[in-house]
Amino acid sequence: MTELAAPTTASAITTPAASGAEKRGWLATAGLLLPAYGWLTLAIFLPLLMMLGFSFLKVAPFGGRTIVWTLDNYLAFLKRPYLRDVAWTSLSIGIWTTLICAVIGLPAALALARSTFGRTRQVLFLLIILPFWTNGLVRVFSWTMVLRDGGIIDGLYHWVLPDAAPLGLLYTYPAIVVGLVHAYLPYMILTCYLSLVAIDDQILEAARSLGARAPVVFWKIILPLATPGLISGSVLIFVPVIGSFMEPRILGGRVGVTMGTVIEDQFTQAFNWPLGAALSFTMLAIVLAIFALAAPVLKRQQGGPRP
Amino acid sequence: MSGVEVNPGVEVTGVSKRYGPATVLDRISATFEAGRFTSLLGPSGSGKTTLLRIVAGFVVPDEGELRIGTEEVTRVPVWKRRIGMVFQSYALFPHMTVLQNVMFGLNRRGVRGPSAAREAREALEMVRLSGFEARSPKQLSGGQQQRVALARAIVTKPTVLLLDEPLSALDRRLRQEMQVELKRIQRESGLTTIFVTHDQEEALTLSDRIAILDRGRIVQDGAPGEIYEAPRTRFAAGFLGDANFLEATVVAGGVDVQGGMVRVAGPLAAAGSKVTLAVRPEKMVILAPNTPHSFDNAMPATLREVIYAGAVSTYLLAGPDGRELKVFAQNRSQDSAAPAPGAAVTLGWSAAHTIALED
Amino acid sequence: MKRLGLAHLWVVIAFLYLPIAVMVVMAFNASPLYQLPFEFSLDWFAKLPDNERLLSASGNSLILAVVTAILATAIGTPASLALSRRKFRGRSLLQLLLLPPIAIPWLITGTAMLVFFFSTGIGRGLFAMTIGHVALAIPYVVLVVGTGLQSQRADLEEAAMSLGSTPLHAFFSVTLPLLLPSIIAAALFAFAVSLDQFVVSYFLATPGVTTLPVEIYSAIRKGFTPEINAISTILLGASMVLVLAFALLSNMGGARERR
Repeated sequence: MTELAAPTTASAITTPAASGAEKRGWLATAGLLLPAYGWLTLAIFLPLLMMLGFSFLKVAPFGGRTIVWTLDNYLAFLKRPYLRDVAWTSLSIGIWTTLICAVIGLPAALALARSTFGRTRQVLFLLIILPFWTNGLVRVFSWTMVLRDGGIIDGLYHWVLPDAAPLGLLYTYPAIVVGLVHAYLPYMILTCYLSLVAIDDQILEAARSLGARAPVVFWKIILPLATPGLISGSVLIFVPVIGSFMEPRILGGRVGVTMGTVIEDQFTQAFNWPLGAALSFTMLAIVLAIFALAAPVLKRQQGGPRP
Repeated sequence: MSGVEVNPGVEVTGVSKRYGPATVLDRISATFEAGRFTSLLGPSGSGKTTLLRIVAGFVVPDEGELRIGTEEVTRVPVWKRRIGMVFQSYALFPHMTVLQNVMFGLNRRGVRGPSAAREAREALEMVRLSGFEARSPKQLSGGQQQRVALARAIVTKPTVLLLDEPLSALDRRLRQEMQVELKRIQRESGLTTIFVTHDQEEALTLSDRIAILDRGRIVQDGAPGEIYEAPRTRFAAGFLGDANFLEATVVAGGVDVQGGMVRVAGPLAAAGSKVTLAVRPEKMVILAPNTPHSFDNAMPATLREVIYAGAVSTYLLAGPDGRELKVFAQNRSQDSAAPAPGAAVTLGWSAAHTIALED
Repeated sequence: MKRLGLAHLWVVIAFLYLPIAVMVVMAFNASPLYQLPFEFSLDWFAKLPDNERLLSASGNSLILAVVTAILATAIGTPASLALSRRKFRGRSLLQLLLLPPIAIPWLITGTAMLVFFFSTGIGRGLFAMTIGHVALAIPYVVLVVGTGLQSQRADLEEAAMSLGSTPLHAFFSVTLPLLLPSIIAAALFAFAVSLDQFVVSYFLATPGVTTLPVEIYSAIRKGFTPEINAISTILLGASMVLVLAFALLSNMGGARERR
């Protein structure tokens, strides 16, 4: 019964539009929005702008130093080869983490979406999401318990083979990746689950009635329909991972040098804020590029046609 | 809104409403008589809901005037008009009990406490829901929610009662029951009622007057019987009920249809002009060919199909030029001489039932 | 095939909870060096109140979380209302602008805040952290309240108006009460976001003023002490309780009507 009537969806109140009321309406809207966006401007947008400015300076303009503009910081990748290595490390950690999350997460989401029902499904869903909303730091720390020499895995190993050398699992790249996968896996499971659960059962039944067996159904129907979930999950994982510094430091020790740790160093150890700013914005540019590329998929996931 | 007489009429004059490039209502003028039940009938997109919402006050027209009683209220906001409205989805407040729902409007008018509760209970009694006061809307069936919505709308003794397709969510049996209830309540309360629907049967059953809308214009309005027996346009004839349409040319004494003469009871245009005729299916009678009869008009046809529906049967025929014709007949007799599909028959009907349409 | 899938699912869940379980168990282990065999002890929990730094950090975290919850909800709810209910030009742009706080890696936002606050004299410390935490929580509040609003029907307010309510009264008597579960859920969310916030707190902390996650981080970097396990277990428990409360409220506040 939808006519071209006044919008009665939950998106607009139609107040009688006498011009006085319209003006008051506008003012009210502004009033409602101002505190939030004012706060965000103060806390996020202005700081980002300032940091952008900083990235073009030679030195931080404090303590009476003069302002010297330069592009050096952005050219640091050319001048300092170790930055390229670090960048590459970050990217590869990101790719590995995302890939493993996808490979592990999609089947799990599939099982959750299609093989569980009702209360069981709700409980399992909650179980998967729950760790995600707990403190990330604590979770990373908990991995040290498991991976360290003398920890659970090493302990079990030595219980079986008492004379073997320590496993040395901690403070390695794999340790970092394991920690990151653990931290971000729920993202992938969630996005894939949302895509999969939207698949109409009848489509699969139709495919089977036309003679398709399970592998074909998976490759030709389920996987393509789950792709938006895979892509959103990948974006949601890759972006924070390349910027992570906490996990690399804790799980990687001296080996854990990533863009994140290098940037962090500029601000807490080296006090080279302009360089840190430039590196940050370089990373931000990559992040924005990724979002821009994936935007159509993300939009469809969020507000697409509802079943 | 002082000075308004009890149960005033509603008058809409020259009302137009546009949304962007689309004209939803096009200079509509109509009078909704005081104390009467008027239906706004039309297909989706005809503008009927928009018109209702203009009377309610949710929409302000771009042009035109609205009067409730003697007061001009075109721009008065909805909460200042004393209307009662029943929404298509009932819109009961989920966080309040049935009684609180019904008292809501009374509280807004300054009636509170025990007297409000008393009036609310009376309204619930009127809709036959006494005893449901403490329930919450979740606990009610569709039909019950509907009645609470109705009670809530009428308890404040509004100037006009507006209903926006309130029965469309109910199943058929419940719908018919509620139609009877609605009519009774309207009679008892004497409220000026405007009812929006796309269901022509419903409109015919409930209304004192029907206004048919098509694409933003009122195509015809009048009492149900009037409109049904004398539709003015092709749209009106086809939307309210079924009709057989015949293209004809005016000649002396009647019209010429495919070479045959058809008599029309009403006035006709000048000879030579084209006209479309409409004949209601139940007004035609199927006769065996060459049977003597006293009908004004007769036309040969071939029976194509019989659709049996218990009390009535629908006969689908092909006229002399191949066009599809429809006849309704009650299944009065076990007639072994009833024609079979493929048989040639004659259709007979009277001049009085031959309607010359205006478009 | 199905059983394989379910088995995989359980393995994944086990994977997710394994390290957490180990950490919690170790919190109850008497050995100061995390050595097995396991000997039950509540010592580490008992020692917590003596640890000045941890105590003050915990206090800061709690205060911050409460303040963030209140402020973010108070600011975010009106914004969410305006974005959901009113049509105006630039609405999609404004909705887009809510993304940076959560989409941009917190490392970047944290360092940017550090730079900006330092330059403008706000400096570091609790006040700065409050600004940061609230900013990060606002998008979540807007999202949660927005979801609650979307599942509400606009015709309820219209019904109220048809019965004589001014728009304002309709909002307070109909929309707001129905929105309350979502608002509370949003506040809980903001509380959890602040409590668990590490990166931004890290950059805005001073040696004297830190939050619990930051303390845990420094303690980890310096070396292991089981006290960290104990406090982490408590923090974990608190987060989980919050999430469960939030989940319950969301389910209750949402589509409760059976139509």
